Amino acid sequence: MGRARLVCRLAAKDLRHHRAEAALLLLAIVAATATLTVGLALHGVTSNPYAATRADTKGPDVVAVEMARPGGPSQLTALEHARGVTGYSGPYLLAFPTSLEADGHSDPVMAEGRATAAAPVDQPKLVSGRWVGHGGVVVERSLADLLGLKVGESVRLGNDGTYGTPAGPGSMRRFEVVGIAVTAALQPSSVATYMHPTGFPEPGLVWVTRSAAAELARVDGGPFAYTLNLKLADAAAAPAFVTAHETNVVSLTSWQSMSARAGYIVSVEREILLTASWLLGLLALASVALLVGGRMEQRTRRVGLLKAVGATPKLVTSVLLGEQLALALAAAALGLVIGWLASPLFTNPGASLVGAPGSPALDVSTIAIVIAAAVAIALVATFVPAIRAARRSTVRALADAPRQPRRGRLSIAVSSRLPVPLLLGMRIASRRRRRALLSATSIAITVGALVAVLMFREQTHFVETAGGLYRFGGPGDPLWERAATVMLVFTVALVALALVNAIFVTWATVQDARHAMALDRALGSSPEQVTLAVVAAQLLSALPGAFAGVPMGIALYIVAGRHTPSAPSPLSLVAVVLLTLVAVAALTAIPARIGARQSVAEVLRAETA
Amino acid sequence: MQQEVVLAMLAKEPSQGYQLRARLDEALGPLGESINAGQIYVTLGRLEKAGLVVREGAPTDRSDRSDRKVYELTPAGQARVTEWLSEVNWPKPDLAEFHLKLVAAAAAGLADPISIIDLQRRELLRLLRDVQREAMNEQEASDSGLLLEGIVLRLQADLRFLEACERAWTDRRRHL
Amino acid sequence: MNAPMNQSDGELERAPVREPYRAGEEPLVRARRLSKRYGKGDGLVRAVDEVDLEVAAGEAVAVMGPSGCGKSTLLHLLGGLDRPSDGELWLGDRRIDQLSERKLAEMRRHDVGFVFQAFHLMDELTAQENVELPALLAGRSPRQARRRARALLEEVGLADRARHLPCALSGGQRQRVAIARALANEPRLVLADEPTGNLDSTATLEVLRLFERLHARGLTLVIVTHDERIAATADRLVSMRDGAFVDEMPLVGGTRGRLADLVGLGG
Repeated sequence: MGRARLVCRLAAKDLRHHRAEAALLLLAIVAATATLTVGLALHGVTSNPYAATRADTKGPDVVAVEMARPGGPSQLTALEHARGVTGYSGPYLLAFPTSLEADGHSDPVMAEGRATAAAPVDQPKLVSGRWVGHGGVVVERSLADLLGLKVGESVRLGNDGTYGTPAGPGSMRRFEVVGIAVTAALQPSSVATYMHPTGFPEPGLVWVTRSAAAELARVDGGPFAYTLNLKLADAAAAPAFVTAHETNVVSLTSWQSMSARAGYIVSVEREILLTASWLLGLLALASVALLVGGRMEQRTRRVGLLKAVGATPKLVTSVLLGEQLALALAAAALGLVIGWLASPLFTNPGASLVGAPGSPALDVSTIAIVIAAAVAIALVATFVPAIRAARRSTVRALADAPRQPRRGRLSIAVSSRLPVPLLLGMRIASRRRRRALLSATSIAITVGALVAVLMFREQTHFVETAGGLYRFGGPGDPLWERAATVMLVFTVALVALALVNAIFVTWATVQDARHAMALDRALGSSPEQVTLAVVAAQLLSALPGAFAGVPMGIALYIVAGRHTPSAPSPLSLVAVVLLTLVAVAALTAIPARIGARQSVAEVLRAETA
Repeated sequence: MQQEVVLAMLAKEPSQGYQLRARLDEALGPLGESINAGQIYVTLGRLEKAGLVVREGAPTDRSDRSDRKVYELTPAGQARVTEWLSEVNWPKPDLAEFHLKLVAAAAAGLADPISIIDLQRRELLRLLRDVQREAMNEQEASDSGLLLEGIVLRLQADLRFLEACERAWTDRRRHL
Repeated sequence: MNAPMNQSDGELERAPVREPYRAGEEPLVRARRLSKRYGKGDGLVRAVDEVDLEVAAGEAVAVMGPSGCGKSTLLHLLGGLDRPSDGELWLGDRRIDQLSERKLAEMRRHDVGFVFQAFHLMDELTAQENVELPALLAGRSPRQARRRARALLEEVGLADRARHLPCALSGGQRQRVAIARALANEPRLVLADEPTGNLDSTATLEVLRLFERLHARGLTLVIVTHDERIAATADRLVSMRDGAFVDEMPLVGGTRGRLADLVGLGG
């Protein structure tokens, strides 16, 4: 017990002594865990909101659609009494493609003609306002969100000539938005594809009165469709029911496939997010490794002192690990909260479903995974240096003798011909190979992630789903727009972490270079020269990292996104690499400048003390 | 110089006076300069009288210059050398005198102990400087270099004693 | 002088030889009421407290005192590694206490050489490269820097160790490399902070001999030490306590006859 307390006290003392470092480390792990939380939380989103919506709206087990003449459906009604059916609503007339015009924008929608009374199956649940009535339209929530429609606003519905049928005078009618509702009944994909052969994935849905729907169908001049919502005795048998009753006139959709389709909308984002959290995790790991590695170098003497007074390697390792674990756990807690609070930002695309907005459930497994990840990051990043530090001979640790330097004879020979800052820079860079490698790695991860983002933004892609091949791409596609928003959030998070990472790297380099800088100044280098030298040293390791990052990003994109890439534009790749290098240089210059202003005497004294 | 030193120098082999002198010079380096040649012969004369050494060759030839004579240990001399080698003695530094000088000076108010210390310190430092210079001129690992090192170390010890004295007397003055 | 030294003296001819120290010459270093204070209020530390010092060109001055007396700080002030809180400091006819960091850097580059207790060599550079570095910093061509470094290493007796890394050298050898480095730009003043603090007595002698030889050639030396035997080799000894000078004494003379007394050889 006493030993445990000792470990805690030593670890706490050490943390308190190096607050800035501890804060940076915390930040890195928080960023990684928060992203991971969001990513994991989205797993749940795909099914849970749909189930909730289905329960709340008496959602159908099967939706059947028949393309028909204006006179009415021919085969649909037969399903009302098919075996296994326990209830139904409809058939309702679907008028499409109907144009919905609001604020001068026109969007394609399906207008479903509904009775003013509540239906036994699929009664859309009002989120606000009231149900359909004369001159009133109820808008499905995701559409309302997308168009920014509110109850009380006015829109125009009808044929504006976009979809082939010439528009005549009076073919657009004014409606008032009287309500906003959600539904679990999605129309079969055949309707959607019929309406938009290019694969516009989910047309918006509005509800009007039966008479208004008939009127809209008339002015559209398009095919008529009737939709029937069925409740089955055995909901699980819905897919079998669909297979049994599908004809070339009637197409059916089970609730299971509707659920999958609803989920698909978020699943694209989940994919992005999981990729993102992987990237962020890697980046965080690189930061942590750098930081911990840097700390270990400084702690070597401390370890030596601990061992000199009789601490066993085990105790020393415990102290070091204890510190990192405390940080990791704190960071995991913070990351969970932040991720949990942030996840609604990403689940908005599921807004067409009840319960989707708001936080997705944070279940035990998510919490466990996030904490495990944070702890793993800390452990992996600490273990190797901790063991090494603890195993190191006490005498050597006390003397803090630098390891036998391996030197690039060539680089040193070349450097003597360079201007002073480059000369010093090359010598600083050749001093700490491991550190240079780590910083190159972390720069590579940063650039790789940025390249992946760029590629996503530049591309049109096809995504294989259960429902068929969806064309996914281009501004204007709401799904793409949503994914782009998620991507933007991810990009911002990534750039922020990359920035933090770059600060770590440069800070660590400056720490390492302190002695060399002081010495150079004692020999007559000006602060400007040594600052430039450190920047040069940093760029020397950042440069290969930045170049390695480009193919890494492309590979990552292919693997993580399962997308067929088209070549990213070389110009943007060059821009990413250059900008990263400029950022690294700028970020190094600041701590280096501060370091270069430190009293030479003090640094040299501290090194010998 | 002690008789036993000269006696022991003869133990290796019978030698002439100038050979003894060369041997001493080698061992003492620059410090050997302080030994004048006559001193060695005076000592040899005494040893001869005491029956510890004998002169080889013609004892009758009294006109010979003494430095051409070869001296040899007698058995008694041999025994004396052995006895001398096994003796344990060490030069005793006379610190008591200096210490009492300070005490007396302070008690009588005749002089400031600090300035006495200071004077002594300067003197020791100058000595140290001289010895150090000699030491720097010595070949590495020479016998005489070792002796000089010994002097340096003793002087350093004395200087540290003076430092301690200074501290103590400064404190004492402050408390008065 | 022994044989190896005479040999390396031959090499010295190439380097410009300065006039040896003559008393009464214009001082190279002049400090007036030089002070360095740290902290405030109760925590105020007067590391150097209104010190007056003159060091003549070619003179060797030792500064002695217990650790913490401010002797190292004084040395840092003299070399422009630290700026005084107060007072005036002149190097030759140039006032340096008010110089900008850049000017100070230039001054350190051309006029001052440092020798540290911990050597402070760059571990990853060979002896030769370490010695070259200041010359390269001062903008000399690589060829010039190399030639100068070779000459200096020869002078300190390490020509055969030029390609060794510091970790392959003994303490005394490392310090001699550091001294060669301090001399790379022919400084007017060499400042040594406990130069033999990490050395055994043989290595100490090596370094002292080197200093002595440089001093004989007219180099101005200020050595900070707590070791009397180092201090005793200087022309003048300054004692420091609590940031101030408490004693100054010229160290010349002494009697050889007395030496014999010390070892029991006195008549």
